[in-house]
Amino acid sequence: MSDKKIKSPADLLALRDKAKEDVELRAGGKALRITVHMGTCGIASGARDVLKQLAAELSAAGAKDVTLTQTGCAGLCDQEPMISLTDATGSMVRYGKLDAQKVGDIVRQHVLGGTPIVDYMIRA
Amino acid sequence: MDNYRSHILVCAGGGCVASGSLEVSAALREQLEKFGLSREVKVVETGCLGPCVVGPVAIVYPDGTFYQSIKPADAADIVQEHLLKGRPVTRLIYGAKPGEQPPAEALKEVPFFRRQVKTVLRNCGMIDPQRIEEYIAREGYAGLAKALTAMTPDEVVDEVKRSGLRGRGGAGFPTGLKWALTRKAVGDVKYVLCNADEGDPGAFMDRSVLEGDPHSLIEGMCIAAYGIGARQGYVYVRAEYPLAVERLTTALEQAREYGLLGKDILGTGFDFDLEIRMGSGAFVCGEETALMTSIEGRRGEPRPRPPFPANKGLWGKPSSLNNVETFANVPVILLKGADWFASLGTAKSKGTKVFALAGAVTNTGLVEVPIGTSMGEIVYEIGGGVPGGKRFKAAQVGGPSGGCIPKQHLNVPLDYESLNELGAIMGSGGLVVMDEDSCMVDVARFFLDFVQEESCGKCTPCRIGTRRMLEIVTRICQGKGRMSDLDELVELGERIKDTALCGLGQSAPNPVLSTIRHFRDEYIAHIRDQRCPAGVCPDLVRAPCQNACPAGVDVPGFVSLVGEERYAEALRHHRERNPFASICARVCFHPCESKCRRAGLDHAVAIRGVKRFMVEQETTPQLPAIKDDPARARRRVAIVGGGPAGLACGYFLARLGYKPTVFEAEAQAGGMLVQTIPSYRLPRAELQREVRMIESLGVEIRTNSKLGRDFTLQGLRADGYEAVFLGLGAPAGSRLGVPGEDTLGVTEAIRYLREYNLHGAAPTGKRVVVVGGGNAAIDAARTALRLGAESVQLLYRRTRAEMPAWIEEIEEAEHEGLKMEFLIAPLEVVSEGGRVTGLKCQRMSLGEYDRTGRRRPVGVAGSEFVVPTDHVIAAIGQTLEPGAFLGDVQVELTRNGYLVADPVTGQTSVPWIFAGGDAATGPASVVDAVGTGEKAAVGIDQFLTGTSEPFWRVEHGVDTRFDPEADPIPDDRAEMPLLPIDERCGCFAEVELTFDKVTALREARRCLRCDYRCEEA
Repeated sequence: MSDKKIKSPADLLALRDKAKEDVELRAGGKALRITVHMGTCGIASGARDVLKQLAAELSAAGAKDVTLTQTGCAGLCDQEPMISLTDATGSMVRYGKLDAQKVGDIVRQHVLGGTPIVDYMIRA
Repeated sequence: MDNYRSHILVCAGGGCVASGSLEVSAALREQLEKFGLSREVKVVETGCLGPCVVGPVAIVYPDGTFYQSIKPADAADIVQEHLLKGRPVTRLIYGAKPGEQPPAEALKEVPFFRRQVKTVLRNCGMIDPQRIEEYIAREGYAGLAKALTAMTPDEVVDEVKRSGLRGRGGAGFPTGLKWALTRKAVGDVKYVLCNADEGDPGAFMDRSVLEGDPHSLIEGMCIAAYGIGARQGYVYVRAEYPLAVERLTTALEQAREYGLLGKDILGTGFDFDLEIRMGSGAFVCGEETALMTSIEGRRGEPRPRPPFPANKGLWGKPSSLNNVETFANVPVILLKGADWFASLGTAKSKGTKVFALAGAVTNTGLVEVPIGTSMGEIVYEIGGGVPGGKRFKAAQVGGPSGGCIPKQHLNVPLDYESLNELGAIMGSGGLVVMDEDSCMVDVARFFLDFVQEESCGKCTPCRIGTRRMLEIVTRICQGKGRMSDLDELVELGERIKDTALCGLGQSAPNPVLSTIRHFRDEYIAHIRDQRCPAGVCPDLVRAPCQNACPAGVDVPGFVSLVGEERYAEALRHHRERNPFASICARVCFHPCESKCRRAGLDHAVAIRGVKRFMVEQETTPQLPAIKDDPARARRRVAIVGGGPAGLACGYFLARLGYKPTVFEAEAQAGGMLVQTIPSYRLPRAELQREVRMIESLGVEIRTNSKLGRDFTLQGLRADGYEAVFLGLGAPAGSRLGVPGEDTLGVTEAIRYLREYNLHGAAPTGKRVVVVGGGNAAIDAARTALRLGAESVQLLYRRTRAEMPAWIEEIEEAEHEGLKMEFLIAPLEVVSEGGRVTGLKCQRMSLGEYDRTGRRRPVGVAGSEFVVPTDHVIAAIGQTLEPGAFLGDVQVELTRNGYLVADPVTGQTSVPWIFAGGDAATGPASVVDAVGTGEKAAVGIDQFLTGTSEPFWRVEHGVDTRFDPEADPIPDDRAEMPLLPIDERCGCFAEVELTFDKVTALREARRCLRCDYRCEEA
């Protein structure tokens, strides 16, 4: 008898919840969408590190209702590396000139805490 | 565990695997590794996503970007551009065409997916079918858990009953009822069986579930077993599905490993296990009793029912057999409830159905829609319509056991009952779309051939009956049929339906019966006229172009003669079947070109262009062979109407030796050719040239002689005319039917054109509005532009794609300044002081499909507006007003007021009166009129002499050189040279010019010579 055997409906639910993380990326419809701008300018300024850090921190924090994705240059090359956060209503906040500390703050305060950080925002 | 930020789901369904998707996913992994992304981006092989025609396909999550036709070499771009730099690779996005913006990036935006409701295929393309965890993550086995812990077996059966789920294998038997019967049956050993012997040509939804979501089948069968009280199940799957067998085997092992199959499932004490049994692909093994016999290890043959399998099934034990798609629905019903399921579909058919869309449709593949979705929606909205500008003809639903649904029924909701009413069946859900190039007799023959081949031979009706039917249908395809064959086929078919042993035999006649029902005319054309209208049946079709020509011109013959610069011979060859070489070179709608097989290589041969070059080389009139026959010359034949039908009738009568008289109402012969077709399309000298040629054969033309005004039919009889041909055209324009139509400044297109063409002047406004979308509308618009209108606007109630006008004419009209607006219909003429000042219109939207297979325009409330204009030209159709000329003679009329004429002889209900052209067919083309005129000439000859030998119909071919081994010349179709726009304004100079010699000869040599037959053959 293998140890993978599901012995009760409760076991099944537990396995489901664990496995969900695997596939929920494909479901869409998340409350928050974080887009890393990864044009040549973004990558040159360190967007790859921002992306990796975001992925790691979101995972560590167990943030479920967040989509992490990427796009190209938004035309604000001097602000790179930058990210855009879009909520379910479609309203968008852009953070620029990011570094590891700013990314950490954004994850804690904005993504998990729900409070945008005005100081890091790009203003037109 | 790695935290992947992106998943690439590569389709690993059978179709995509065949087109190389596994190589693509390997290349993707390699690229991800190379760029250090393999711990960030995961590649998952998933089940069939549906649009197999553009495979291999893949989706990139979380964005849902959908890529098509990916090659391993594209992996670098996808990884470097999309996954590294966030720039989707636009050239690979679904629906992308070179040089165009891609329509929609994300999967959910694509029309092919947007209108689908995925229940059965809920996990196909979402999960890795080889990982049970992914199935469980998407609520897999939760339905089973609910059934085992919270419900009694009776409650489970009741739930399925209440859901209204019906057998997806085709017959539509209520699944819950089947389970209840098996549950009630006496016996302690019972079986749950799954029919995965998907044998219908073209249907592959069961394979898709087995390959893409095998656990949904296992879970469904477990639930069924619990409800019925079975402990053992079998999946009977065809050996031709190796990938399905492999994935199902893996899934079974995983389910056992996870304790979801075997003893004490989920700790509830319920035991159930499953085994795979492979069949070797006999179609009859899809029949339930034959399937069970085959599982038992014996030859797969059906047996009579009762006893039904619910009582005596596999090894004589109570058994319940359902198909894969049925089982795949069950977990969702248990999880979401019967009420949820019953909210999808129609009153009697609940849930969704997967259709395998194939044939002449842009997006082929698997589609899942709520039952009751209309056929039009599936074919056009999801399927993207018929490619290549061809017209939808019919769809074959339900494979060899089903039937065809013609275009008149595009609105039919696809549910069990509606399909049965039309003589088709839901069947397994195969949906083969056929366009105008499909011969329905040939389709029936194909399916009959299939079932005849697959008949197990146990019962006589199926074994012998289908063979007899096949012999008859084959005979019809060869042009050797008899009219009595139709009744015989129907009788035989009905007899087989009533008496065959199993469902295979009982449904075998369906394709024949339904094609006879919906396409009887096509059978009749094969039998009576020895013609295959679609140009398919090889014994009846010399070349598809010639077959498509209503006059039967030997197109490859004259084209190849032109290619050898033998112009005089080419012209005579053309005039064997159609006197109007020059006229048709200018105005013919060239049905030949739309059937040209060269279009499969690049584009159709410019047959009309070659013809134009040919007629330009005519220095002395090239007359065809004529028979002198003094006896026939003495018989008097009158032809009423000097248009193309009448003149053609006179021409062919003259060639048989007659000296017929043509009575023409106007001052010039030519009918519509002279009255309405503008001279920039057909210079009058060209028309006169061919009219004079016909006169020179002994045809007398009397102008200014109008039937009903100057003479009567009875009068002709009294004058000794023994037969009369009526070729009066459809000279009256239809009225708009809106208030204010009689206001000054509103004219009707035919009258407007006639006024200008016959009398040289027609009052034309400054701001002209033309209503209509046919050729008369375009002719009127282009004439108005030449007669000084400052602006000409065309309003049409349907869309551009549905305009009946000739596409070349539409484009040229636009170049000359015509503005066109669509989905607009007139409501009322607005006037001031008795003159028109505007046209009140309403916007339309497209509603349901009408009998012509087009979507019917319906008015949008509150969208009324006024188009300012001082001249409205109505061009919405033509009619015949037969009352004015028939007098006392009672000739039978069609519902639309045209003369009823025999399609072979042109004879009307009055034996001495014949008819052809628009007067008999309704508005049609010049070459149609020529065809009917020729038939009537032969019909008249037969009527007068009791026999007729139309010598021109004997095909003698041409002796031009052709090397069947040589490659076709590579040149693409040449475009017709046109007069520059600024030289057209204000004059009626001919717009179309002639190919130069080099172009014309090259174009002629592009012909693939479909008429060529091997000497030995």
